Amino acid sequence: MDSIHDLGGRQGFGPIVTDEPDEPFHAAWEARLLGIVRAMSRPSGWTIDRFRFARESIAPVDYLTRAYYDQWLQTYAALLIDSGVATVAEIASGKAAGNSPDLAPPMTAAAVAAAKRTTIRYDRPIDRAPRFAVGDRVVTRRDGAPGHTRLPLYARGRQGTVEHEHGAHVLPDRNVDGEGHAEPLYTVSFAATELWPDAAGLRDRICLDLWESYLAAA
Amino acid sequence: MAHDDPHRFADIHEELHRHLPSEPALRVKALESLLVEKGMLDPKAVDAWIAVYTEEIGPKRGATLVAKAWLDPAFKQRLLGDGARVIVELGFEGWAGGHFKVVENTPAIHNMVVCTLCSCYPHAVLGVPPNWYKSAAYRARAVREPRAVLAEFGEIMPGHVEIRVWDSTSELRYMVLPERPPGTEGWSEAELAGLVTRNAMIGTQRTLRADRSGSP
Repeated sequence: MDSIHDLGGRQGFGPIVTDEPDEPFHAAWEARLLGIVRAMSRPSGWTIDRFRFARESIAPVDYLTRAYYDQWLQTYAALLIDSGVATVAEIASGKAAGNSPDLAPPMTAAAVAAAKRTTIRYDRPIDRAPRFAVGDRVVTRRDGAPGHTRLPLYARGRQGTVEHEHGAHVLPDRNVDGEGHAEPLYTVSFAATELWPDAAGLRDRICLDLWESYLAAA
Repeated sequence: MAHDDPHRFADIHEELHRHLPSEPALRVKALESLLVEKGMLDPKAVDAWIAVYTEEIGPKRGATLVAKAWLDPAFKQRLLGDGARVIVELGFEGWAGGHFKVVENTPAIHNMVVCTLCSCYPHAVLGVPPNWYKSAAYRARAVREPRAVLAEFGEIMPGHVEIRVWDSTSELRYMVLPERPPGTEGWSEAELAGLVTRNAMIGTQRTLRADRSGSP
């Protein structure tokens, strides 16, 4: 989905705010929201890619102007509605109108000690060899995808070099509903001069992790 | 509800935009009340997570990895080779730590991490990302004009140093291993860790200074 979330290389933004305080949260509601997100029961099928697709679908003007954790709130609200466990009216009022969903009981404070060490892996065994090897020249796909994808606009139709081969990882484009299809994943590096007209004379490189179906032999 | 229907969530967002309270704090309060009422949330677990991200999971973990790598070449090789395994050994595994890649700065190479598509970050070793890392300006500019971005952080990069920008497009999470500053011979692991900054591990700071005042 070619929306405003795909920010790499867009021009017109001002300076970075480099002097923010070190504290992890700058408002009480931000901390609260992160805690809610980590602690809440989740309906089935809430993959990381469904979360990303839902966030990418926020209207561009809201995406660029709403605070980060406010975007998260909006995204989780949309996920709850999409899963049929809450309505817009319930989320707006904070009061339940229908029955409670049939989900496992929520995480307790005591369970956080184990949950904080939980790691999710996205690599999967597949029964074929990767098509590309380290050092191969590749060219990225020219077009995006109507739904969720992880090939940014700025790196489409460009030539790069395979730097690492990571085995097969779950393909985000087909994981919004948890399909779990896996493909070889590569780190591909691009010369800055291949991506940007303004990079002339620089030897800098941009590295992206790209799935095999994003790539063809150059 | 096709997985690739661009209207699937956009239409829901449109509804939410029209009906949710105008203040973020009020929206969060309403969401928490609703989830508790629906039996999906225990507020004490929310408190516990906030404590974890305020007191325990933060850049001190990454700084420990860096200090150990500076002191022990074998540790450094294992960290660069299989970072995900090393963080398990130290009890640092967790959210977004399943695939962890450490990239090393050298006199000729400077590494810098961004996520242009969302806000991917190695939470398990660096904690909650700073707002600037999640800002549209950083995400847009880091891949296109990293030298201008670094200058805003106070780092003027010489032309002979190659900058490598890592755009976190997969579930791999990147952390930069900065160079050990001169003048730190004989320092303890804790003293070394005390001078490693979060920004150095993201790659928006290149130069660390041998200043013991920052050590514990």
